[in-house]
Amino acid sequence: MTQEQTYLLSEQAVVLDLNCARLDNVQQNRLFALHRHLQKQAEYIDIVVGKTSLTLVLKNPAQCTRWQDQLLQLWDELSAEDFHPATHSIPVIYGKEAGPDLAPLAAQLGLSQQDIIELHSSPTYQVKFLGFLPGFAYLGCVPEQLQVARLDSPRTVVPAGSVAIAEDLSAIYPSASPGGWRLLGNTTTQLFTPHSQPPCLLQPGDNVKFVPQKEGLC
Amino acid sequence: MLEVIKPGVQLCIQDLGRHGHRHLGVSQSGALDPLAVKIANTLLNNALDTAVLEITVGLTQLRFTTATNFALAGGDLNAHLDDTPLTPGWRYFSEPGQILTFASSADALRAYVSVEGGFDLQSVMGSCATDLQAGFGGINGSALAAGDLLHYASSPERSSVGALQPGYHKQMRILSGPHCTQLGSSAAHLLCAQPWQVLPESNRMGVRLTGPDLFTHQLSINSQAVLPGTIQLPPIGSPIVLLNDCQTTGGYPIVAQVIKADLRHFAQLSAGDQISFIQTTPAQAHQETQQQNYHINQLRIALAHHDRSIS
Repeated sequence: MTQEQTYLLSEQAVVLDLNCARLDNVQQNRLFALHRHLQKQAEYIDIVVGKTSLTLVLKNPAQCTRWQDQLLQLWDELSAEDFHPATHSIPVIYGKEAGPDLAPLAAQLGLSQQDIIELHSSPTYQVKFLGFLPGFAYLGCVPEQLQVARLDSPRTVVPAGSVAIAEDLSAIYPSASPGGWRLLGNTTTQLFTPHSQPPCLLQPGDNVKFVPQKEGLC
Repeated sequence: MLEVIKPGVQLCIQDLGRHGHRHLGVSQSGALDPLAVKIANTLLNNALDTAVLEITVGLTQLRFTTATNFALAGGDLNAHLDDTPLTPGWRYFSEPGQILTFASSADALRAYVSVEGGFDLQSVMGSCATDLQAGFGGINGSALAAGDLLHYASSPERSSVGALQPGYHKQMRILSGPHCTQLGSSAAHLLCAQPWQVLPESNRMGVRLTGPDLFTHQLSINSQAVLPGTIQLPPIGSPIVLLNDCQTTGGYPIVAQVIKADLRHFAQLSAGDQISFIQTTPAQAHQETQQQNYHINQLRIALAHHDRSIS
């Protein structure tokens, strides 16, 4: 049982904080249902879903107090069934140069590389939220057997398209950047193209399925 | 055209920011001193969110290859048009070939230049602001370099005019943040009880602070939305005031939020500067933002009167 609350962050943002360590699937989808609902209803500048919260940045700061009550009411009213996510298939070339951490990780976990590919590509992931870089989606959840810490020392450059894991999350680097996640493979799917409409392939709450390609290990 | 002869420490194109995309991990970007952008654009009768140049530190040289009216705003970095000293908050005219230079100053860090009608730029996701981290917006997503050319339409000479800009302060007003209780403390105790010094690792993403008495802790929170003005307290106890280029979510406890009207002051802070915090209320925060809007409106009315009476 969570004790959700709302509070102001700055003079023009309202936060719905679900005050719990993590969300179950039902709560998670209710939160995404709330996000989609607000995108249609509210006079907002931004709506940002966090791990266990939603922040609504309003155009008119005078509306903040009203939305503090309104968010709690909507959270009560909306249900997980109100949310209908899109599903994306992401082709992945696993291993070798495309996934330099796959072989060392297999050795560390006492599994074959194929086992790891099987484990990583079997779940349907959900975009929990985006951050770090434009289009960088935090995907949950990685199967427990595959949950490992970040690298002790992050790489200075992770190539764009790298498919990676860290703890219970997976992600795809939309552009080259420094990064400490373990790289299992690479995809040619474009995740973030600022000049296109929409600029970002993955939206909060969307489902993602990794599909091993025969050009790599599978 | 405006030709960049020397960009100086950092010269980039900014406007009032890219909004509505934080859920995709896209930062706001935009000028650190939005009031300066509005002042510069008002002086030229441009739309308020017209993209401008943000000059950081100075040591910059720019050439106007075609005649234009331009406006200067923000910090005083000892700008000159050829040999003539210029004042921020004023509009000037440049003949073709004149050179605009910025020296530097111990008291200011950022200045803004707008041209009449604006630069010819492509908007990306609703803004021309350069996202320096992600590499898009502005020109090719990066800071300007020597040899870069910015196009604008030439404009006939207008008289020089200006007004005193609202001053910059080092006492910042804050609203209490959500995680003080979990830290067993209060925003007043954590931030308002001592002065803070700006660390050199400060940039457009955030200003890092240090002080005599750091509150260290072990609390981490579930990643949630952060905004420009959010004050995070990492475990080492050295607060970070997030600015326009900050990430969209963060996992450090949020201890306070700088009011919107006071964020512009952070644009002028250099390493070693001393600042302090004082708590205020949301009502006061709204009033301060209103005050800045009134300032722009008054400036617009005064300019309309001025420009009418001389033509």
